[in-house]
Amino acid sequence: MSIRALIVDDSSVMRKIVERCLRQAGMNLSQVLEASNGTEALALVNEHTLDLILSDINMPVMDGLEFIRHLKKVESAKNVPIVMITTEGGEKSVLEALSLGANGYIRKPFTPDQVKDHVIPVLRNQS
Amino acid sequence: MSTYQQSLAGNNSALLQGWRAILRDSVTEVFSMMVGVEICVPQPPNPPVVREVTGLVGLAGELCGVLSVQCAKSCASKIASRMLCVPVAEAASHMNDAIGEICNMVAGSFKAKIDGMEDKCMLSVPTVVIGGDYQIFSLAVGERIELPFLFEGESVWIGLEVRN
Repeated sequence: MSIRALIVDDSSVMRKIVERCLRQAGMNLSQVLEASNGTEALALVNEHTLDLILSDINMPVMDGLEFIRHLKKVESAKNVPIVMITTEGGEKSVLEALSLGANGYIRKPFTPDQVKDHVIPVLRNQS
Repeated sequence: MSTYQQSLAGNNSALLQGWRAILRDSVTEVFSMMVGVEICVPQPPNPPVVREVTGLVGLAGELCGVLSVQCAKSCASKIASRMLCVPVAEAASHMNDAIGEICNMVAGSFKAKIDGMEDKCMLSVPTVVIGGDYQIFSLAVGERIELPFLFEGESVWIGLEVRN
C-alpha cells in the first residue's frame, strides 16, 4: 500500500528525519508533503488527498493543536489519521491532542522504531 | 512563587546538582537518539566556549528561564550532517535549524525528567543566534548550570539559566 503523507514541523531537519523514519519503517511513500506550521498544512490538506499526517505541536503561526481543530472541520480530511510528534509530552498535552482527534503521540527525541511502533498501528486501524 | 522557585531562592545546591545530572542525561539522550552519536563529557580542563552558533529556548511557568546550546559553525554543520545523514557541505545550510531543534529537544527532555514539571512548564519555539558578539540579559536574578561536551572533537556548551 502506498502512503501519501503530510509532515508538519517548523524544523526542516525534523521533517526530513521523520520522513526517513517512515521509509525505514518499510512504508511505501508515494508522496510526502511538508509544511512548517498549521496554516501551511491546512492549505495542503485542502489541495491533496492524504493517508497520514504527522504534526509537531509547538510551532509558530498556527500550532499543532489548533491545526487539529481546523483539520477536523475539513470534510475531505477529517478522518485522515494524525500522529503528533513533539517535545510537549506531558499528560495534559497528550490528552488534549487525543481529545481533539489525534490518533497517536510520539515524544521527541525518538528512535525510528518508536515511529514505526506508533504509526503502523494507526494506519492499520484506519484500514 | 512555585516550589522550585522557592527552592532556588533558598540556594538549594542539592536541587541544582540534581538538575545538572538530569540535564547531562537529557543531552546525551538527544544526541544518541537524534544525532546518532554518543556525545562525550570531557575530562578537565574544560574545552573553550566557542559561540558562533547559539540555540535558545525559553521556559515559562513553574520553571522560568532559558536553555542554550553553543558551538562553532563547523560543529553545528557536522551535527546537521549527522541528523540528516548527508555530507557536511550539504548540511551546512541546515545548521541553524539543527541547533534550534537540538535545543528544543534537550529542553523538552529536561523538563520531562523532573517530577511534576512536564505540564507546568511550557517551551518557546527555538531562536538561533549566529555570531558571538552578544550578551544575554535575564530579567531576574537566577542560577546558571553550564555543561561542556565534546562532539567529534569540538566543544558544545549547554547552559540552563533559571530564575529564582
